[in-house]
Parts: sequence; structure tokens; C-alpha cells
Amino acid sequence: MPTTTYRTELKKVRGLGSAIGGPGTDHFWAQRLTAVSNLFVVAFLVYTGLTLAGAPLGEVKAFFGHPFNAIASILVVISTAIHMRLGMQVPVEEYMPHGLKVPFLFLNTFFVIVIAVVGVLSILKLFLGN
Amino acid sequence: MVQLTLPKNSKIRKGKTWNSPGANAADWKRFEVYRWDPTTGHNPQMDTYWVNLKECGPMVLDAIIKIKNEIDPTLAFRRSCREGICGSCAMNIDGTNTLACTKPIKEISSTVKIYPLPHMSVSKDLIPDLSHFFAQHRSIEPWLQTDSPPPETEWLQSRDDRAVLDGLYECILCACCTTSCPSYWWNGARFLGPASLLQARRWIADSRDERTGERLDNLEDPFRMYRCHTILNCAQVCPKGLNPGEAIAELKKLMVERQL
Amino acid sequence: MAEAKPIAGTRPLAPKPMSPHLSIYRFQINMILSIMHRVTGITNYFGSLILAIWIASAATSEQAFNTVSSYLATPLGLVILIGFTWSVMHHMLGGIRHFVWDVGWGFSKPAVKFLSWATLFGSLTLTAIIWGYALSHWGIR
Repeated sequence: MPTTTYRTELKKVRGLGSAIGGPGTDHFWAQRLTAVSNLFVVAFLVYTGLTLAGAPLGEVKAFFGHPFNAIASILVVISTAIHMRLGMQVPVEEYMPHGLKVPFLFLNTFFVIVIAVVGVLSILKLFLGN
Repeated sequence: MVQLTLPKNSKIRKGKTWNSPGANAADWKRFEVYRWDPTTGHNPQMDTYWVNLKECGPMVLDAIIKIKNEIDPTLAFRRSCREGICGSCAMNIDGTNTLACTKPIKEISSTVKIYPLPHMSVSKDLIPDLSHFFAQHRSIEPWLQTDSPPPETEWLQSRDDRAVLDGLYECILCACCTTSCPSYWWNGARFLGPASLLQARRWIADSRDERTGERLDNLEDPFRMYRCHTILNCAQVCPKGLNPGEAIAELKKLMVERQL
Repeated sequence: MAEAKPIAGTRPLAPKPMSPHLSIYRFQINMILSIMHRVTGITNYFGSLILAIWIASAATSEQAFNTVSSYLATPLGLVILIGFTWSVMHHMLGGIRHFVWDVGWGFSKPAVKFLSWATLFGSLTLTAIIWGYALSHWGIR
């Protein structure tokens, strides 16, 4: 049996107040911004995949040795990383039980940063290695 | 926290069958209705009633009134106008939320399954506890707010400005949309839901209201409005044909517009 | 929630149950597509690991690269890659659909239905085209 709290529904609805100055519209906007840039990301990924499917390492190195491809692929990493970070935040906020929410929000950011750094450094190494 | 399954005290048991027409079932329709009695402490159950459609009005509400009058007077539900303007008899019929008074029985091919509005606290049978829903409506302050000195007569509005409110003011607060929204199911404590947000839009769109900025401030929050992910169940179920999802999209556009 | 106080000698009112939701709600195409947008988004999030491992292996050594490449060329690897491609295509078209709504278009019931089905069929078509091309050229190498 839940204990009686005597708190009104309006008290619960108003809660801690509106998080004005928080990530509301900024999150929405950044997600749409990177969604648009991700259209180019997908196009470049498909181009890369079709060019390098089954290719030996030499061809891969030659591909990323080209400045256009190196620049484009670094932009791919940046755009997807931001979009992933913002995107995963939403289901974590919505589905995680109270005590796990903050740890998983941290993990989300850490995961994305690791992926992004690995991606950018690998591309740079392939680019500069030529 | 999301709980996809029902809590232990909410799992539905098999209920009883009240009256069966036996072999002469040609004009009879089978209704399965959610029942829960707060005084017994038992879990909810689905009871079966049979209604002779030849002796019943055309709408689902006619059938459940007939059930209450003639078969089982303990069945509890809300109803008032029986013509789609009061919003009292909102419930989940045949898998979607609608008003029992405007839902024709013959639109449902097999058994008519009737539940209370989804993911709500149930007071009894088909009666959900709407106090949180109405508190959310209260929180968007659904009344005209002005600071200018009031005119001698009324606040005037051009015909064009009045037309902007079409598709917004008709809401009857039946809660069909809000309780159809999965985002509201999982985050209803903090997400205001489509009905309240449609009304927020209605007052922000009102040419006479002077608190547009404050109203937007009130929604500038990751949960209050931005848990709307444009699933659009709301627009599918609205018995008045309104489109809360579209109204919320307009609110999001205003949020962006005032930042650019 | 203020619970009614029991009158002396009577049974207290039971805590209110929660009405059923997912289990009884009729799924419509818009709702299914919304779930799929989220599922494909989460898939793409973890799918990025494949791309990261692949590019890292290329930057590490010939041996590492060949190991990763051979894993990706196994039947299971190909199934995962094709699934990942479909997931990306679905999420991209779903994103375009959401963009149309964010701009304020396509809210009528027929439009919602059309946009939802177009996302589904479009994603399958794009995946088929991409992999048809990839597999036919893969053999030539």
C-alpha cells in the first residue's frame, strides 16, 4: 500500500520547474543539424564501402591517402559521433531506472569519444603514412 | 523507468461470462469488458457479456449502458452527452482509444474488447484516474493572460487570427490522445502529453494572449515537450479529428525560431 | 496519490491497478516505424564499432587488417554488414520523414501512412541496390 503523501498533482506536475537554459531546444537543434550532415555521411560511407569492398590493405591506404577522402572521413566521424551521443541520450533518459541513468549517460559520452578518437587517429595515420 | 509489462497487482485474470445466448447467437454480439473492484483486493479481470444487437442502439456506449441496465448494474464507466462533445466515455475499444458514444459496434468484426484508457491508474472498471492528466492541463495555464489594460468591452480578434485557432480549440479533453502515446506511457510523470501540449499551442497561437514567451519558457524542457517523438498515435485516435502531433511540431518550430 | 482512509471495520481500498497498454494496443504502421527508428538508431550506435575496428585495423598492421577483413567476409560477417546497411538506410529515411514533419508537412493520415511505408520499402530497396552492386563487384576482384 503506497503511503499517503498529501502532495497535490499540480505539485508533482510542476516538479522542479522547467529546465530552461538546459538542453531542450539545443539538443533538438543539434540532432537535426547532424541529421542533415549525416545524409552526406551515409553517401560517403556507401561510396567508401563500394570502393573498398574486399580490397587489399594497399588500396585502403591509397584511398585514405587522398586528401579529399581523409577530410571527408574525418567529417563523417565528427558528424556521426555528435548524432550518436545525442541520440543515445534519449532512450537512456527514458528507459533507465533512476540509479542507472547518470552512469549510463556518462558511459554514452565516453563510448562516443573513444570511437571518435580511434576513428580520427586511424584516418590520420593512414593519411600521413603515405 | 520503463516497465513494459504490467505490475503484479494489474495482471488480468479470466473473468466470468454473464449471459450466453446459446444456439440463437445470430444477432448477438460478444463484449469483453475490463473489470476491477477496489473493494475486493482481487486483480482485474475480463468479463464476457452478450448483447442482442436487435434490441440495442448502434454505438458501443449503447451496448455498455444496456449491459449496466439489464445484465450487470455493478459495471462502472463515465458517460454524459452520448454525442461526442463531453469526452467522458473515452476508453480503449478494439485496440484503440476512442469515445464509446461515437464508435459504431458494426465497425468491429469480432468480439468487442473494452479496456480503460491505457497505462492509467484505474479507479474502478472503465474509470481511469485523470487527476494527473488534468493537473498537466492546469500547468500550461489554459486561460487568456494579458498585461495591457483591459478594453472597455472585450478583447478583439481579427477573423484571420481567429481562424488560426481552428483545429486547436475544439479539444474536449477526453484524454484519448495522451493515453495513446507510448512516450506518455513511459514518461508521463514529466512529459505533458499531446492533449496538454495542444492546449499550450492553442494559447500561444491566440492573438490576444500576451504571455507567449513565458508559455514557451514553460515548455523549454527536455521532458515537458521534447519527449514528443512524433509517433503520431495521438492524431490517429483523436475523436474530434485534431492533430496534436502537428501542433507540437509548430511549438518546436517556435522554440527554434526564437533562438535564431 | 491520496488513498481513501478505510472506515473502521471495513477492508481498506486496494491500491489502484495500472490499465493494460502495449499488450492490448492495436499497432499501427506509424507506431511500428517509430519503434524501428529507435531500434535502428541503437543498432547504428553499436554498428559504429565495426567501422571503428575496421579502420583501426587498417591503421595498425597488414596482419590485423587481414584478420578483420576475413571475419567480415564470412557468411555471418556479411549478414551483419547487410543488416547494418539496412539499419543505416532505414534510420536515414526515417530521419528524412521526421525532418518533413519537423518542417510542418505530411501530418494528414494518408501522408503519415505513405511516409511510413515509403521509409520501410525505401530502406529495403536501397539495401538491395547497394549490396547487389557490392556483391557483383566483389566477385571480380
